[in-house]
Amino acid sequence: MTTQEIIIDELEKVTGTDEVRKNLDLALFEEQILDSLGTVELIVSLGDMFHIDLTPGMVDRKMWATPRKIISDIESRIKAQAV
Amino acid sequence: MNILDRIHAWSINTPNHLAYVRGESVLSYQDLEEKSNWLATYFSDSLPNDRAPIAIIGHKEPEMLITFLAAVKSGHPYIPIDTATPSQRIEAIIEKSKAALRLTPGNVQQLLVEQNLPAGHLSPQPKLPHEIKLEDAWYIIFTSGSTGEPKGVVITTACLESFVTWMLDEQHLSEQSEIFINQAPFSFDLSVMELYLSLSTGGTIFSLSRDEISEPKELFKTLASSSATVWVSTPSFAQMCLFEPTFSEKLLPRMRKFLFCGETLPPEVAASLLNRFPKAEVWNTYGPTEATCATTSLQITQNVIAKYNPLPVGYPKSDSDIRVMKADGSGCAESERGEIIIAGPNVSPGYLGQPELTAKAFFKLGELQAYRTGDTGHFEQGMLFFDGRQDNQIKLHGYRIELGDIESNLQALPTIRDAVVLPHLKNGLPDFLAAFIILNTGPVPGEFETTRGLKRELRKRLPDYMVPHKFYYPDKFPMTANGKIDRRKLAESMK
Repeated sequence: MTTQEIIIDELEKVTGTDEVRKNLDLALFEEQILDSLGTVELIVSLGDMFHIDLTPGMVDRKMWATPRKIISDIESRIKAQAV
Repeated sequence: MNILDRIHAWSINTPNHLAYVRGESVLSYQDLEEKSNWLATYFSDSLPNDRAPIAIIGHKEPEMLITFLAAVKSGHPYIPIDTATPSQRIEAIIEKSKAALRLTPGNVQQLLVEQNLPAGHLSPQPKLPHEIKLEDAWYIIFTSGSTGEPKGVVITTACLESFVTWMLDEQHLSEQSEIFINQAPFSFDLSVMELYLSLSTGGTIFSLSRDEISEPKELFKTLASSSATVWVSTPSFAQMCLFEPTFSEKLLPRMRKFLFCGETLPPEVAASLLNRFPKAEVWNTYGPTEATCATTSLQITQNVIAKYNPLPVGYPKSDSDIRVMKADGSGCAESERGEIIIAGPNVSPGYLGQPELTAKAFFKLGELQAYRTGDTGHFEQGMLFFDGRQDNQIKLHGYRIELGDIESNLQALPTIRDAVVLPHLKNGLPDFLAAFIILNTGPVPGEFETTRGLKRELRKRLPDYMVPHKFYYPDKFPMTANGKIDRRKLAESMK
């Protein structure tokens, strides 16, 4: 599985909708698809899965506004950690 | 114990000490006393002396606190309404309560400007239409009702004083030095704990706004700046904070007490807090809105955690009589489960303007006002344990929700033929709400679009925390042998 697929799988689990798979530009917070607790759950599970340093204090809503933005944020964190 | 006298005394002895902090807005004891006196005078002069409630709609602005005290001082109870409440529900509350006034923090600011307050010296205590009596209503908090209409719980001066006196005796708070974290909106009676414990002891309430809470990155910065000593929240909120590794003694070095109420405290949350904050105490408390915030308490130590799972909710407060009763009204034996009955001076006289609902839930136990909680529980060595609900009321992240309230509001939508709402459970606790919907139009065209539309409609009628997270569209509902919808089967279908 690619990084993107893993992230989308987790996001689908947390949000309970496959729309996050169909529309990568879905406004997750505006549409109230993702809430604070869901975000924290996602932060913890993605941090564990990719072995990256990721805590609730490191993420804000702007950075994670859409599925596409979450993917790009996680990919850049993985790269940064590899350096 | 006279709460208003205490606040008045702080305004004389420590006028510049901060009573309230919310972001950039602060309120000193002198400000609070002076402004609430002026506003109380305005209420007395402009409203009939009929004790009709005053509704204030806002989100934790300092003007809300000013209005609470002003209302009480002028002989009117207050109704705190959070801005998260949709307008339809606000209208229902205003209508039901026959409120004399509905205010927003903006209105209050305007009124205070118009009063042209002389700066720097305390105005006299306003002349009250009559003395505040123990049986007078202090506040009215509206909670979810099973028929889709909210109901107003009346809390009197005697109720509040009984609660505050008990907590002060037990918690040994220092005067003029505590800083209390406020998480809950004022429409949620958990907030009564920090508001009145802090104001009675000359402490500071450090309030977290909804925006701060929903943005963890900001939240931890704000918390770090708080110097807080007493934490009051739902267990869910602390659980969320614990996901952040820096949430520890280092972030909040003065923290010495965690007070929990509103839902079951998971032992692992208590254990993590004791590890991360070795100098702090963790307390579990229990009580419905109808019995003023909390009625039992227990300090949760490593020993208690090692011994009990689920954790006990604690020992009854000394002036209350808590019993566990069987359906026939007889008392339960040690460890035997039954309905939790709370009797005492902290028990509400009833629901505002609803004699039938009041008669069903409240009664006299000897001399004491008593409330049938609808909670199942049992006693073990004097300690009360909470074992769940007898009906369709749930606690979701501390919010009290009647599932029937959501179902009625869904069924009122023209596109819906039938609806059932159930909590999705995680480790035995409600995690989110799921709605099972049968539409009038038959098969669902696009699930996401349909769900989005229904959520939008529901948000006009219900607060966000009552809008189900997940929607299912079964062809039909499974039925029990008696012809009722089989809620258990529906719940199983979520797994």
